[in-house]
Amino acid sequence: MLENYFPILLFILVGIAIGVLPIVLGWLIAPNRPDAEKLSPYECGFEAFEDARMKFDVRYYLIAILFILFDLEIAFLFPWATIFKEIVNTEAVKWFGFAEMMVFIAILVVGYIYAWVKGALEWE
Amino acid sequence: MEFKTVVFYFLSAILVYAALRVITARNPVHAALHLVLSFFSAGGVWALLQAEFLAISIVLVYVGAVMVLFLFVVMMLDINIDRIREGFWNYLPLGAVVGLLMVVEMGAILGSQYLGAAEAQVPQTAAGVSNVKELGRLLFTEYVYPFELASVILLVALIAAIVLTHRGAKKTKYTDPAKQVFVKAADRIRVLQMPAEKQD
Amino acid sequence: MMDMLQQFIQGVFGPAWPVVWNLLKIVAVVAPLLLGVAYLTYFERKVIAYMHVRIGPNRVGPLGLIQPIADGLKLLLKEIIVPSGADKWVYLIAPGLAIAPALAAWAVVPFADGLGVANIDASLLYIMAIASMGVYGIILAGWASNSKYAFLGAMRSAAQMVSYEISMGFALVTVLMVSNSLNLTEIVRAQDHGIFAGMGLTFLSWNWLPLLPMFIVYLVSGVAETNRAPFDVVEGESEIVAGHMVEYSGMAFALFFLAEYANMILIAALTSLLFLGGWLSPVGFLPDGFFWLAAKMSFVLFLFLWFRATFPRYRFDQIMRLGWKVFIPVSLVWFTVVGVWMMSPLNIWK
Repeated sequence: MLENYFPILLFILVGIAIGVLPIVLGWLIAPNRPDAEKLSPYECGFEAFEDARMKFDVRYYLIAILFILFDLEIAFLFPWATIFKEIVNTEAVKWFGFAEMMVFIAILVVGYIYAWVKGALEWE
Repeated sequence: MEFKTVVFYFLSAILVYAALRVITARNPVHAALHLVLSFFSAGGVWALLQAEFLAISIVLVYVGAVMVLFLFVVMMLDINIDRIREGFWNYLPLGAVVGLLMVVEMGAILGSQYLGAAEAQVPQTAAGVSNVKELGRLLFTEYVYPFELASVILLVALIAAIVLTHRGAKKTKYTDPAKQVFVKAADRIRVLQMPAEKQD
Repeated sequence: MMDMLQQFIQGVFGPAWPVVWNLLKIVAVVAPLLLGVAYLTYFERKVIAYMHVRIGPNRVGPLGLIQPIADGLKLLLKEIIVPSGADKWVYLIAPGLAIAPALAAWAVVPFADGLGVANIDASLLYIMAIASMGVYGIILAGWASNSKYAFLGAMRSAAQMVSYEISMGFALVTVLMVSNSLNLTEIVRAQDHGIFAGMGLTFLSWNWLPLLPMFIVYLVSGVAETNRAPFDVVEGESEIVAGHMVEYSGMAFALFFLAEYANMILIAALTSLLFLGGWLSPVGFLPDGFFWLAAKMSFVLFLFLWFRATFPRYRFDQIMRLGWKVFIPVSLVWFTVVGVWMMSPLNIWK
């Protein structure tokens, strides 16, 4: 199995190299003549006031948390989905294998409906 | 030295360095980024142990989802580093005790490995067997109840997240263009017939 | 003759031969990919120009064909500006973090039966995991620039990308259910038989027809995931100028550009492999081959450009509503439908 992962390791390294090299090249070749005006953050010509890293709406956190939960759910679905055909073709475990995932999904649908009713998915 | 060992030490070195930087970096965003790096290299170490599914899942779940939330939090709560450092010496004894306890616990677990078994047993998967399929088989036969419990835990987390962070629908005043289109003059204006007042 | 040559080359490199061989394979994937990215930008400008009844780039070289190379050279010669309030290292790493996942995901993409850099069992899972890292480049660019537009763009993009990743995940899971494997090669192979394939009409046996709602969800989520129009509120020039890229210049900007287009090509490749039968020929009497995959990818990429020329930009609340309140229910319902379908005697994926 591991020998199949070796090209992937190389590929990731190549990807990082392609991410770094152009910047180094640009640094070497391109001119570098900074001045205060050029380096000031873009604000449609105004003088920038206060720090740009401000506090943000709590809804963004909520979206991120909901995403984690659904992402975990999908991570659980993956192994089940890969063997689902075998479950279907094995008479003995057919209904059991199907039902347990439906229970899993049903519990999460309850959570999804709760989020919807509470207005957590609203964005106006 | 085998090539596998070289890769292991390479990944472990990155892992240890990144983990150290997580607790020593002064900027919280840098700390979070080093945590991402350490998760990624941990995934690599797991892949070396042939735990294919777990290795990719840690990247998918921790790097792809959990750390995004972490970054959101540390980026947007403008943390004043000086204020956090104020209480450092007060909290040091308590922190040291907790840290020491954790070291002892981890030592007990890792130590028993070395004292008891000669070498950690790495289950060798046969060439044609898919890691994920085997995991699926086990998860959905032997570990059904923990699996269903996991969904309940996810549900609890979801409800908790909403209760803690959701402040109810915001009272923003806005017009719905879809409704605006269907407004007729008769809905808005009432034409009255006023009798002329007498002038005297 | 070939054997001797091979032995000679292996002898020259000795134990480093596997590294060299794999690097050659990687270059054989990455070089055409980067060239494809360059010409996709040209193609985009031409296609949209003709849709607008304009001519598009036609000055540099015949038909403007050297335009992308001229653009690249120009960017190479431009100063890389690091704004005064920026976090220098994070600012410079961010473009790399955007392009590295977009390229690394290609490691497991098969181009024809058995033709690819790596062939691992969990290739689909790998792609999903690597693709989920693409969001870092954008968030970090927005945060490190210390500019309000960049920060707003980064927050929007993070929220948008994670929202559409869920419906994408459900679409992938449904494809897995009918193909019984996480391996992309196996997923394509599972599409070459069926009732219609028996009649010689293979293209009706591909996944897009029985999984039509998932196909649409996946394609539209792919557009949203790559921040393309009409989901480009992240970089909408009339609202937040260029979002996370506003402070970037020169090669640092070029990398974001490359990453966006490399991701588009990746989504096109995945859509073709998962739903459109990959390298399989649409009808029984023509041979399979890489040619078909390229044709399908070009078709999907053309859709991307067409969308941009046709649809006005969505509002951010509409994007979030579409992701959370339309796509997730639709994909959950179709997931269940496929489950019941496979349990019933009408199962077509025996």
